[in-house]
Amino acid sequence: MIAIKGYRHGLLIVFNGASETPWLTHLRELEAKLDATPHFFRGSSVAFDVKDARLNEEDLRHAIDVLRAREIKLWAVISQNAETCARVRSLGLADRLTSASAARRAPEQPARPQEVVKDSTSLPGEAGDGLFVRRRIRSGQVLRHPGHIVIMGDVNPGAQVIAGGDIIVWGRLSGAAHAGALGNAQAVVCALEMSPTCVRIAEAVYIPRSLEHGQRRKRTAQMALLKDQEIIFTSWDVLTHKSRFERR
Amino acid sequence: MITVTSGKGGVGKTTLTANVGTALAQLGHKVVVVDGDIGLRNLDLVMGLEHRIVYDIVDYVEGRCRLRQALIRDKRAAELFLLPAAQTRDKTAVNPQQMIQVCDELRKEFEFILIDSPAGIEQGFQNALAPADVVLVVINPEVSSVRDADRVIGLAESQGKTQIYLVINRVVPMRVKKQEMLSVDDITEVLSTEIIGIVPEDEAILSASNRGTPVVCNDKGPAALAYRDIARRLSGEQVPLAEPQSLSWWQRLFGKVS
Repeated sequence: MIAIKGYRHGLLIVFNGASETPWLTHLRELEAKLDATPHFFRGSSVAFDVKDARLNEEDLRHAIDVLRAREIKLWAVISQNAETCARVRSLGLADRLTSASAARRAPEQPARPQEVVKDSTSLPGEAGDGLFVRRRIRSGQVLRHPGHIVIMGDVNPGAQVIAGGDIIVWGRLSGAAHAGALGNAQAVVCALEMSPTCVRIAEAVYIPRSLEHGQRRKRTAQMALLKDQEIIFTSWDVLTHKSRFERR
Repeated sequence: MITVTSGKGGVGKTTLTANVGTALAQLGHKVVVVDGDIGLRNLDLVMGLEHRIVYDIVDYVEGRCRLRQALIRDKRAAELFLLPAAQTRDKTAVNPQQMIQVCDELRKEFEFILIDSPAGIEQGFQNALAPADVVLVVINPEVSSVRDADRVIGLAESQGKTQIYLVINRVVPMRVKKQEMLSVDDITEVLSTEIIGIVPEDEAILSASNRGTPVVCNDKGPAALAYRDIARRLSGEQVPLAEPQSLSWWQRLFGKVS
């Protein structure tokens, strides 16, 4: 049973009951999971939590290969098994999720006080899990979380926000946003000012027309959602929560 | 300990380092400017000190000389020194730990250490960033420069740097007015970083760089004034920040009347 969790330095893949089932079975399950939603994982750095499983070097190399084939980097493996930890270290991977080693090995996200977010298997729309970020997301930075993402600040051009659930930007969204990246078609993207370079919801993609020189998009709060497999934008009335259909 | 960087090349890092370094020394501070661009050095050229290089930073790091021997004194100010980069090596000749160690050594003697970072975000940039207390990000008022600066600021923040300031270089007020260049507001909207200086485009810069004499040495032009203001702000003075205005034809004719 594999669970994908998000925490400040990226993604954590938890292998529950890894010691009871053969490692290869777990890897097959992982492969299936990764291939179901490739957009979410591509380019990410992940950590494994293998619980008390005893893994040898070949097991670990196999896992690294599975990930590498999908442009995913394994940077840490945590385990309660001392022997596994020793193998992990001998392969040059981290065996702890300290923020120092995370900052060094997973350059995707800037070092911040980290906290492991609890289980995130629940569906968006209901409570679920959220990542709250209060800063500007700058060009080249990627924010990735299996649950919802709430950002208090702007998302600059060149930045990417990828969420399994909804994305709420309390600020201007000028970068790329991918909501429902784990396949949820009910997910939405909201922003106080919607001027993204690209919006994706589940499998659908929307790329706005490029603006004339000096032209600016309207400064209105909008919500992007999926309707008949197409991304549409509605005004997002944050006071009444009524949303009115709007053509762009 | 100040690092001058930009991400994008050709925006004026080296010129700024040379001029602000010289201006700080003119204010009576003990200053050393360090060329972080190993393999493509040119801070020495802009400062007119090329022919005096005997040892460089790589010689010191690899133990071929003492730090004192690698430092070149600039006679134009009382206490201004240059630590040149090596020309025959590349960025990997020095690592961030060594750079921190070099700067700790320099800190004992100097009030201000200015590192001229190379363009890009690779090892040369990491070397220059590692020891920095203050990061000066130089940009030109154009989108590609702002985008690169955004990336660089993000990287600096992730290294725990908190004192990050912006220098907007080569501003032509007329072209900002015509919306051919980004305005200060446009830039702040994207970067939201405190601005420490706005340097107007100035013809004096090019000839001064070619001569190897920073403009702050003898020029009264707009760029020289802006560089001196940046130096005063860095040394803790409160200097109001003014956006350069374009002069109308009659103002040009009769000189600027205040």
